[in-house]
Amino acid sequence: MSYLPWAIAAWLFGVGVYGVITSRHYVHLIGCLTVIQSATYVALLSIGYRFGSVAPIFYSRPTSTPAVDPVLQALVLTDIVVGATVTALLLALTLQVHKKRGTVNPERLRPFRQ
Amino acid sequence: MTALLVLMFLLVAGTGAGVVLAREPRRQALALAVNGVALALLFVVLRAPDVAYSEIAVGTALVPLMFLAVLVSLKTDRPQP
Amino acid sequence: MTRRTRLILAGICSVLIAPAVVVVILHIPAFGHHPLPYGDAINRGTVARRHVTNMVTAVNFDYRAFDTLGEELMLVAAVTGTLVLLRGRRGENVSDRPARAPDRPVCERSEAVTLACRIFLPLIVAFGIYVVLHAQLTPGGGFQGGAIIASGTLLLYLGESYRLWRRLVRSLLFDMLEAAGAIVLVLCGLGPMVRGHAFLENVLPLGQSGALLCGGLILVENAGVALAVTAGFILLLLEFLEETRAAREDEKS
Repeated sequence: MSYLPWAIAAWLFGVGVYGVITSRHYVHLIGCLTVIQSATYVALLSIGYRFGSVAPIFYSRPTSTPAVDPVLQALVLTDIVVGATVTALLLALTLQVHKKRGTVNPERLRPFRQ
Repeated sequence: MTALLVLMFLLVAGTGAGVVLAREPRRQALALAVNGVALALLFVVLRAPDVAYSEIAVGTALVPLMFLAVLVSLKTDRPQP
Repeated sequence: MTRRTRLILAGICSVLIAPAVVVVILHIPAFGHHPLPYGDAINRGTVARRHVTNMVTAVNFDYRAFDTLGEELMLVAAVTGTLVLLRGRRGENVSDRPARAPDRPVCERSEAVTLACRIFLPLIVAFGIYVVLHAQLTPGGGFQGGAIIASGTLLLYLGESYRLWRRLVRSLLFDMLEAAGAIVLVLCGLGPMVRGHAFLENVLPLGQSGALLCGGLILVENAGVALAVTAGFILLLLEFLEETRAAREDEKS
């Protein structure tokens, strides 16, 4: 049972990649990319966790209280916000593709031959 | 390994699979919001309140709204021939 | 390649990679008993060294402020790319007038929705500002607070009409705010170098631990990040909602 976090991270990654492969709509594909990103968040935060610890905020606690790792939380929280803006960029690209080619089905879009 | 942790991990796995299996994009936007809430709860149980703040605001409100706005634009936009 | 080819290729690759994944999972230090020397060192010493009580903020804006600078510039770049793509389609000088959508049905907002949005909008914006200001004391920061404020202003669109949303939320103001946020963070880096310190070194007076104004340069960087994130998300929302109403005859390619 102590392998559960890593198994869940691997499961999320695998399910996301399966979604990207078998997707029939670009917007659905971008949603599956979000699932792949969340696999990394789960894995990173599971590394930093310690049983019996508190959050790394020492506002009303002595500094010697055992706390979880703040470095990994700092990594993940900037990543979540920046990942959302990159998702927005991908959605804007999807709109462009729809305008130029008329479809957003990845299976019907072949590389553009001049 | 408390029962709460196990439950949260399994919930996140379930909602993640739900996002992928929701093939229609409009339904997937709502599945993304549910996934965001489940992830935020997992982050709270993993003692990361800052990360939970980010995930709730971004994953539950902003990203599904952008998805829905893009879907409306795709429906009303006529492509050039 | 067809779908079946892709699935077969993915199956072969996962069969090849799966043993490596299993070996890694078995050899990772046990969940909950990880030795974390860097985190422990930060937890032990930061309150005395930097007078802040939120370790994550100290890591984000002091110890690893260089990474935060990179992340914020990534955010500005992604927002700029999206705006160029979406505004370029419609032309720059028409971006201030709300476009019309002639053949879309207009739904009347129900009064309950309008009332709820009017009650919650100031509460959410005030909460977002609180989260930004208390970054160094309790959970919070520029990234979280910026996202909260941006999602709060969305209630303007949900509760009132599209016309009011466009009239109150001006894209020029948020363009300038986002640029200001990025410039503030870069100046926080270059400022200490004027006096001979290192890039992004914490040179301001540190204040008293537990007070609202503590942490020195962390406060200024936090404000810069909050400005950039809020303005970035609001600009994205503006453009995406404007996209749903692009009139056919305005389009330039």
